[in-house]
Amino acid sequence: MKSWHLAALCAAALGLPHNAVAADVDWNEARKFWSFQPVSKPASPAVKNGSWPTTEIDRFILARLETAGLNPAVVADKRTLIRRATFDLTGLPPTPEEIDAFLADKSPKAFESVIDRLLASPHYGERWARHWLDVARYAEDQAHTFGVKPNTEAYRYRDWVIDAFNADMPYDRFVKLQIAADLMEHQPDRIGDKAALGFFGLGAQYYKGNDRAAADEIDDRIDTMTKAFLGLTVSCARCHDHKFDPIPTLDYYSLAGVFQSTKLANVPLATKEVTDRLESMQKQLDASDKQMKEFVRQEKLQWAKPRMDEVVPYMLAVWQVRAHRQSNPKYSTAEQATLDKLDVAVLDRWFKALQPDSKTAQGIPTLDAFRKLPLPAKGKAVEVTPEVRKAAEAFLTLIRAGMAANDALAPIVKKGANGSADRLRQDMVGFLFADNGVYPITDTGMMARLNAEKKSRLETMKSELDRLKKDLPPTPATAHGIGEGTPADMKVLVRGNPADQGELAPRRFLHVLTGGHPERFTKGSGRLELADAIASKDNPLTARVLVNRLWQWHFGRGIVATPSNFGQLGQRATHPELLDYLATRFVASGWSIKAIHREIMLSKVYQLSSVDDAKPQAANRDPQVVDPDNNLLWRASRSRLDVENWRDALLAVSGQLDPSFGGPTTDLGSVSNRRRTVYAKVSRHELNGLLRLFDFPDANISSERRVDTTVPQQQLFVLNSPFFIGQAKALAARVQKESPDDTERVRRAYLLTYGRPASDAEVVLALRFLGGKDDPTEAKSNQLTRWERYAQVLLAGNEFLYVD
Amino acid sequence: MLSRAGTGLGTLGLASVLSDAGLLAAAPAAIAPGRNPLAPKSTHFPARAKRIIHLFMNGGPSHVDTFDYKPSLEKYNGQKPPTSATKTERVTGSTLMMSPFKFARHGRCGLNVSEIFPNVAKCADDLCVINSMHTNIPNHEPSLLMMTCGDNQPIRPSMGSWLLYGLGAENQNLPGFVVFCPGKPVVGPQLWANSFLPGIFQGAHINNSSLDPKSVIPHLHNGSLTRAAQREQLDLLKQLNEMHLAQRSGDNPLEARIQSLEMAFRMQFEAQDVFDLSKETQSTRDLYGKGQFGEACLLSRRLLERGVRMVQIFTGGGQPWDDHGDATAHAAKAKLVDQPIAALLTDLKRTGMLDDTLVLWGGEFGRTPTAQGAKGRDHHSQGFTVWLAGGGVKGGMTYGATDEFGIAAVEKRTHVHDLHATMLHLMGLDHEKLTYRYGGRDFRLTDVHGKVAKGIFT
Repeated sequence: MKSWHLAALCAAALGLPHNAVAADVDWNEARKFWSFQPVSKPASPAVKNGSWPTTEIDRFILARLETAGLNPAVVADKRTLIRRATFDLTGLPPTPEEIDAFLADKSPKAFESVIDRLLASPHYGERWARHWLDVARYAEDQAHTFGVKPNTEAYRYRDWVIDAFNADMPYDRFVKLQIAADLMEHQPDRIGDKAALGFFGLGAQYYKGNDRAAADEIDDRIDTMTKAFLGLTVSCARCHDHKFDPIPTLDYYSLAGVFQSTKLANVPLATKEVTDRLESMQKQLDASDKQMKEFVRQEKLQWAKPRMDEVVPYMLAVWQVRAHRQSNPKYSTAEQATLDKLDVAVLDRWFKALQPDSKTAQGIPTLDAFRKLPLPAKGKAVEVTPEVRKAAEAFLTLIRAGMAANDALAPIVKKGANGSADRLRQDMVGFLFADNGVYPITDTGMMARLNAEKKSRLETMKSELDRLKKDLPPTPATAHGIGEGTPADMKVLVRGNPADQGELAPRRFLHVLTGGHPERFTKGSGRLELADAIASKDNPLTARVLVNRLWQWHFGRGIVATPSNFGQLGQRATHPELLDYLATRFVASGWSIKAIHREIMLSKVYQLSSVDDAKPQAANRDPQVVDPDNNLLWRASRSRLDVENWRDALLAVSGQLDPSFGGPTTDLGSVSNRRRTVYAKVSRHELNGLLRLFDFPDANISSERRVDTTVPQQQLFVLNSPFFIGQAKALAARVQKESPDDTERVRRAYLLTYGRPASDAEVVLALRFLGGKDDPTEAKSNQLTRWERYAQVLLAGNEFLYVD
Repeated sequence: MLSRAGTGLGTLGLASVLSDAGLLAAAPAAIAPGRNPLAPKSTHFPARAKRIIHLFMNGGPSHVDTFDYKPSLEKYNGQKPPTSATKTERVTGSTLMMSPFKFARHGRCGLNVSEIFPNVAKCADDLCVINSMHTNIPNHEPSLLMMTCGDNQPIRPSMGSWLLYGLGAENQNLPGFVVFCPGKPVVGPQLWANSFLPGIFQGAHINNSSLDPKSVIPHLHNGSLTRAAQREQLDLLKQLNEMHLAQRSGDNPLEARIQSLEMAFRMQFEAQDVFDLSKETQSTRDLYGKGQFGEACLLSRRLLERGVRMVQIFTGGGQPWDDHGDATAHAAKAKLVDQPIAALLTDLKRTGMLDDTLVLWGGEFGRTPTAQGAKGRDHHSQGFTVWLAGGGVKGGMTYGATDEFGIAAVEKRTHVHDLHATMLHLMGLDHEKLTYRYGGRDFRLTDVHGKVAKGIFT
C-alpha cells in the first residue's frame, strides 16, 4: 500500500506523529487517487448483446459481465418484483390487492406505475429515513446516564428526515441543513428544517470527568460528518497525519476549530419574528405579573406591619394565661383578653401557636426560649416579670428586622429555602403570617380590606394579565441542535493530547478537496461555508458517496463496498463508470434521490431473478464459479428483512399495524405498541433487546451498513415471544374471519404472508397439520389453536424473512 | 453424536455451519452472511486458557486494604507523605491513613492478605497478584469503560465481545459471553457492549437479583405449547423451509436459519438446565454460600464447563466498593464475595478446570492511601491491584509494586491495556492481530497500546 506522501510515510514508519505543512505536499499528486478526481461523464459502454439492456445502467452492468464471460439471470416474475420493490421502497409487504392490480396491468409501464405509486407513498420516507438514521448514528440518549438528560425532542430530527425523503428534498439542501440550518434563511413554512441540526445536536455527549471529553465530542462530530457526507475517515488524522489518505493533522484541526466554535443548543422551530414576538410578549407579561404581585405584596405588608405592635401585648397575655392556670386551670383566654383589651380570637391563636407542641414555633430560638420561661408557683400572684417582657421584646426585635427585608412576605409563598439565617427569617415570618400562622394573610382577607379604588385597580391589572396570557402565542417546539459559539481557530493537538498544543490550524476545508488551497472561513464558526463546500457539485465525493449509498440500500452491496470510506483502505468501485454516471445524473436531476431510485429500479439489472438460473451458455462461464458473491450483479441478491421491516411486516399481515405517522418516541417493550418500528426509541445506553438481537447498529457510532447474523437467540424470539405469538394469533383470526373454509384460509394466508398462491402440496401439508390431534394428556397444556400454531409457522418461515 | 450434543457442543447436523475455523485469519472484518459468527475459531498460537471469569469488584476496592500491604502507612499514619513526589491525583486526601484491617501472611508463598478475605487467603498459592496496575482517570465511568472495553469513552467493544469475535463459542446453545449483575452497574450495558462488532457478540446480561431458569435468557421458555406440540410445529416449519430452500439451492443464509431454529429448540431445554441450581448437590451449594454473588459464581462454573467463553460477575448494582466515607465498610463488601470466590477457585481446581480457566479479580481502580474525610478513601488510578489465577499464570506470586505508601505503581508498571494484552495472550490471541476493520481503521481491544506481561506465565 502506497502512503500518500513521503513525509507521512517516514513518520508512520517511525511511529511518529507528523504534522504536515500544506507546502510539503504535492496536492496535484494527492488528488490523482480515483475518488478525488472530478466526476466524469462516462460514455455509454459498448455491449455485445445490444438487445438486453433497457437502460443505461444495464449497459454498464452488462459490459462488465461480458468482460467476465458471464450471462445475466432472467428477469424475475411479477410477484417477486412487486414484493421486492414494495419492501425496498416502503419497508412493508405488498397487499394481495396491490399484487392483483399489478398482475392485471399488462402495460409495459406496469412496473413503472408500481414504482411511482410506492415513491409517492408516505411510507417511503419511513423506510428510507431509517437508512440515513443509521449513518447519522441517530439516538435519543447517551451511552451513560451521568449528568445527561435524554433528548426528549429527538424525534423531531427523525421526523424531519422522514419528511425530507418524502418531499424528495434536493440532497445538497439536505446536507446543508444538517450542518448549518441555523445559519440559513428559512421560508416561514419550512421553519421545521431547523430540526435538521439534530445531526450534530443528537451527537455524543461524553462523561465530563475527563480533560479529553470535549475533544472526544468534537471527534464524534468530525467522524460522523466526514464519513456520512464525504466517505472519508478524517478522524484518523486526529493524532497523526492520516496514514493512507492525504489528510494532514492540520486539516483535522481546521475542521475541529469549526466545531470548537459551535455549541449544542435547543433550537426553537419558529421564525425569528415569531420568537421575537414571543419574547417581547413574554417580557410584557412578566412585567405585568410582577407589577400585580408587587401591588398585592404592598397591600399585605401594609396590613401586616401594624400587627408588630401587638406582638408584645399578646405574648405577655399568653404567658399570663399560662401563669394563671397554674392555680386556676379554668382561667380562660377570654378573661385575659378582656383584662388587656385584646381580641380574644387573636389571643386564642397566639396561645395555640405558643403551646409546647406548636409546629409553627419550632426551630425559632427566641420563641423556644419564651415557651420555656418559668411560671410562678401555684398560688403565687401572676405578675409579668422583666424577664418575660424581655423575652417577648427579643422576638419583636427579630421579627421587625425580618420584616424589613425587601421581600418580607415572599417566604409565605415559597417555603423551604436553604441557608440558616434566611430560613430562620422565613420561619418567623411564617409563624406570624403564613396560612397556619397567627395572622394568616390570605388573598381573600386582603381583598376584603381593599377600598373600592384599589379593588378596581387590582381588577384592571388582573384582566390585563389574563389578556396577555391568553394572547401569548404557544411556545414553539424546540429541536436538539447546535448554534454558534465563540469563533476561534484551534491549535493542532500533538498526538491528540490537549496538553500539547502545536501550530495554529485556521478554520477551513480540506486541502485535498480544494486543490491544496483552502480558503479561510470568515463567517462566524465557518459552518455555513463548510456546508457549502461539502454540498457543492464540484466536490468529487458528495454525490458519488450518496448514489453509492442508494445503490447499496437497493442491492445490498455498494458499487464501492465500503460506503463510508472512499479512501485508500476502502474498496475500489466494481463499476467506476457506473458510479460516475449515477453521480452525474444525480446532480443533473437537481440532487433528486427519487430520480435515482427510478433510474435504478427501472433498470433490468434491478429486476433480475435471485434464483441462480443463469445457466452457462456456450462459450460462457458458470457465474457460480466465477462470481459466487455476485459482485458483478448477474442476478439479484436475496436479502433478509431488516428488523424494522420484519416487525412491521408481521404487524401488517396480521392486520395489527397502526400506520400513523410521526410523533414522540414509542416503546417496543410495550405489547400494545403497533406502530412502525422507525418510531421506536433508539437508545445508546441500552438498546431495545429486539433491535439488538436482529443486528440494529450501535448508535454510538455512524453505521455504514447492517451486518446480518443468524443465531438461535433470534429464533427464540420467533418461537416464544409474546409479540410473535400475538401476531400469529391475529393472523389466524384474520384469515378465519376473511375466508370461509380451511382450504381458502390457507390460500389467503399464503397470499398475505408470501404474496403468492399456495401450491397444492402446501395446502395438503397445511390441512394435515390443521386436522391433527394433540395427545389427550397434553391437550390442556396447549394454549394455541391449531390455526394459531400454523399461522406462527407461516410467519416464522424463511420465505417471510427473506426477499427474493 | 447424541451424547456430544448433550454436553453442549450442539454439533448435530451442523457440520457446514461450524466448519468455519479460520475465518479470523482470513479476513478480520468479514462476518460472512450465512456463516455462524459464533462458530469456534482457531487461535493465533496455542492457548493457555480457554475461558475467562472476571470477578468484578465494581466501585474500586482499596488495594492497601486488600492485597497490597503497606507497613509504612502504619508508621506514617496521619502524616503527609514524606516525599513530594508521591502525590495522589485527587485533592481530597492529604494525610496517609493506615489500613483499618490486619494483614497476615498466607500459603507457602507467604502472600500478605487482609483479614477481610480469610477464605481467599487460603488460596494464596493459586493467586498471581499484580500490585502495579494503573489506569488513566480516577473516575468510575471512564475507568469502568477502560477495564471492560479498553477505552475511556463508550465507543469500543468489550473484552468479552472481542473474545467471541476472535474465538467463537464452544457451545452454540448458550450465550458465549454472560454478565451477572443484580440490577445495573454504573455506566450500564455499555460495559458489555459489542459496539461496532455484530450485535451477537454482546454480553448477555443476567439480572441475578432473582434467578428464574425460564427467563434468564429472553424468550427461553414457551408457555403456550408442550414440547411435543412445539416439536410438531417445528417439523412443519422445517419441511416448509426445506421446500423453499430446494427451489433456491445452496443458499447459506437460508440453511443457516433452518439450523438456527433447531438450535433454538434445543437451547430452550439446555439453557434452562444450566441455570437450574437445584441440579447441584447441597454440599456444593453450601460451599458457594447463599448470596447473589455466590449463586452467580456457581452458575458461572456451570456455564464455563459447558463452553461459555467469558463470564463477568459484578459485586452488585451501582458501585458497591465505593467507600468514600469509611474504609472499614470494605469488610461488608468482602464478606459478600470472599467465600464464593474461594469456593470457585477450589471447585475449579478440584475438577482440573482451573488449569485452562483464567480468573481475574479486581475493580476499575484502587483507592487513595491518604484519608478522605476522617476515615474514608477516594478514587485512585496511579496504582492499584488486581489478581489472576489459573489459565497459565503462576500462582503464589506478586508482580510489580507500588511505592512504599501504595500511591503510584513504580515497579513493572502494568496499565489496563497491558492486562488486556496479557489476558488475550493467555487465550491464544495476539492483541495486535485481533483486529476489526471499522470506518477505515483496524481497531483492537488494546488500541495502540499494550505489552504482554510474560513474567507471570507458567
